[in-house]
Amino acid sequence: MVFSSVFFLFTYLPIVLLLYYITPLKLRNLVLLAVNLVFYAWGEPVYILIMFLSIAIDYTHGLLVEKFKGRGEDRKARWVVASSVFFNLALLFFFKYWDFIAGSLAGMGLTFMPRLGLSLPIGISFYTFQTMSYTIDVYRGDARAQRSIVNFGTFVTLFPQLIAGPIIKYKDLGDQIDRRTHTAGRFASGVQVFVVGLAKKVLLANNLGMLWDTYKALPAGSLTTAGAWLGVVAFSLQLYFDFSGYSDMAVGLGRMLGFEFGPNFNYPYISRSLTEFWRRWHISLGSWFREYLYIPLGGNRVGKGRLFLNLMVVWAATGIWHGASWNFLLWGLYYGLLLAAEKFFLGRWLERRPVWFQHVYALFFILLGWAIFALEDFAQMGPYLAALFGFAGGGLWDSGFLYYFRAYLPMLLVAVLASTPAGKGVWTRLEETPKKLVLPVLLLLGLLISTCYLVDATYNPFLYFRF
Amino acid sequence: MLKNYSKFVTTLFCGFLGVVVAANALTPDKSFSEMENRNLAQKPVVSLNGLLTGKFMSEYESYVTDQFAGRDGWTAAKAAIELASGKQENNGVYFCGGSTLITRFDAPDAEKVEKNLTYINKFAGLSSVPVYFGLIPGAATVWADRLPEGAPNYDQKLVIDRAAQSTAAQFIDLYTPLMEHKSEEIFYRTDHHWTSLGAYYGYTGVAGALGLTPVPLTDYVKTTVSTDFYGTVFSSSGVRWVRPDSMDTYVPEDGVTVTSYTYDAQGNPVEVARQLYDESFLAKKDKYAMFLGGQQALGVVRTGHTDKPKLLLIRDSYSDSLVPFLTPHFSEIHLIDLRYYKQSAAQYIQDNGIDTALVLYSVPNFVSDTNLVWLGR
Repeated sequence: MVFSSVFFLFTYLPIVLLLYYITPLKLRNLVLLAVNLVFYAWGEPVYILIMFLSIAIDYTHGLLVEKFKGRGEDRKARWVVASSVFFNLALLFFFKYWDFIAGSLAGMGLTFMPRLGLSLPIGISFYTFQTMSYTIDVYRGDARAQRSIVNFGTFVTLFPQLIAGPIIKYKDLGDQIDRRTHTAGRFASGVQVFVVGLAKKVLLANNLGMLWDTYKALPAGSLTTAGAWLGVVAFSLQLYFDFSGYSDMAVGLGRMLGFEFGPNFNYPYISRSLTEFWRRWHISLGSWFREYLYIPLGGNRVGKGRLFLNLMVVWAATGIWHGASWNFLLWGLYYGLLLAAEKFFLGRWLERRPVWFQHVYALFFILLGWAIFALEDFAQMGPYLAALFGFAGGGLWDSGFLYYFRAYLPMLLVAVLASTPAGKGVWTRLEETPKKLVLPVLLLLGLLISTCYLVDATYNPFLYFRF
Repeated sequence: MLKNYSKFVTTLFCGFLGVVVAANALTPDKSFSEMENRNLAQKPVVSLNGLLTGKFMSEYESYVTDQFAGRDGWTAAKAAIELASGKQENNGVYFCGGSTLITRFDAPDAEKVEKNLTYINKFAGLSSVPVYFGLIPGAATVWADRLPEGAPNYDQKLVIDRAAQSTAAQFIDLYTPLMEHKSEEIFYRTDHHWTSLGAYYGYTGVAGALGLTPVPLTDYVKTTVSTDFYGTVFSSSGVRWVRPDSMDTYVPEDGVTVTSYTYDAQGNPVEVARQLYDESFLAKKDKYAMFLGGQQALGVVRTGHTDKPKLLLIRDSYSDSLVPFLTPHFSEIHLIDLRYYKQSAAQYIQDNGIDTALVLYSVPNFVSDTNLVWLGR
């Protein structure tokens, strides 16, 4: 189930809110667990078993780690952590990477791994990372093991962030699972963040996505340089509003249920370097890799050669986490190299350049990176990248480009503006009274217009039924 | 935020959800959408198998969205917002000047086009009588100058030329007569079909190829049968701010009988009487079905000109408004719709003493059709 659907908004959510708030405080996690499971099973009725397995494994591992640590048996505790990491990565590997590796090997003529053709369980990349962090946090003493399986299950399956993050570490959420307060203030702020997220996803991301789809589908021969840039700009904005919109909806829904999740995006496109970009983009993933991979590898406190190697390992992992395909690995390594360059020399050089140059530099490499990210097929990526640099089959621009540019210009301007803190700045400077008057109007408009688009998306006249 | 204001915002949000939920609960479920021209999803029955495979869930979601209260209104509002945001198309339909809506036509699947052409060649080989083949260009090509500036548009002439070049049948040029009259109202502004006037110019093309002398347009008396026709393109566009179309007929239906051959619920063959013009459809949304009463697997039009030859027409719905013009030239016109008629057309020719066979499709239907394969049997 996705948040941006008529069914979620007008069937699932009202039932959840109603059930949740009529249940006494003590039983709310049980209700939450039940609705979480329905949420997951709705799209994945069979894969819910993997979810149960994951809960059972990590629940027992957490308890074991704490038991061994309590007895001072650190070696045993480490083995349990290793076992938990193994199970989680094995699940992830099996469902997400098996066919990718089998296919790549088959391409080299090695056929000992049969292709399984399993569909990817939704959200597995997110929840395996969360459960892994749990046993590690317990081992590190950052969190206490969860004794209640209901509470633990609620943590793993919490529907607002189940299928698209943010990736929440147990140490940040554990206390809230056990005890949280429900206030009108928190609910109301949740409503605002949710509606902003919904509008980002439905009105901006989906719309710009159609522009990207047009350019993605163009054969190399008719691609123009201007069109290729328009396409990649559309994709960059689509991805940002899609993902950050989804995170906003997660944060908003969390608040409606009394939770507080950390922010996942912080205006990434205003960055002046790629290092800054990764502090602002998908924050929860970056911090996960930093905490559970980069720092354990030695972090910054190693020699230059080792540091370079560490960066490449972390970024290769980050890349391939985004999807089982070579282009994601390439995209990760692309960032590994650029970030290493910034760390070693480029960053210092960049600081002495004018601010506008820093923005242009960052945006150029971000956009180029998205082109690699978006085009899984290398046979398509090559001509597309060539088109970006002026070697386009269709020339510099054509009438189709002008048509799309004109048609999407207002939408692009709104999206560019919305990816800067300008709107927030205006809002915070507004006096209390006008704010109070404007807010309900904006909320209702956001909900109404989003509903128009959601209903329209399912509107499919069957013309050829009668020709 | 102050506590009371927070309560107000909370109430506003929950109230909005509540109103929509209540509206959906109170509106009775509909079985058919006239606007979308299709049956709407109904509440699915819970079953263990349905739950385990996820079939129940996807059916339930379809049910909720199909039965959403005020569905057409939300869609219309979305189209209006798209227009306001600078778009010149919505749901694959271009907003053109003069209250005209034109369905977008993109580059077709070349492989499929070739395959479909091969099936027609096969049919020409199997048939014991001469086979004629024509492709009708759609409004996106004939009225290309009415599209928004620079709007991407694949030239259907390319498909027509390819067909003319490779077909084993005798090709009928319908492009030229329609282009010659492109400044006239030869297509509906809100529907994808040609008007009766457009069909008349198509008829002159067909007549020319078959060696018939077309009746001059001035010999007919035009009858306007409807002035509030909103067609399929109107439906799919979501656009609600255009003027309705008028529908005209030219040919009198005196002496013409139509029989539709179909099967009853038990599978027994039955004959249903139809009309050249079934005015009862004029009271409905799907007014174009007035011509020959809409879809049918097999229909036979008998004209009373018993000395004239018999025509087999392998058709899409464009032919429904063309048939009236053909009536003076044939004793019988047999209409086959390959989506429903799954027997050998070549055999049909032999069994029914057909003299001439004609395959006639609009380009958008032809390039996407998946049933022409039946012609090769």
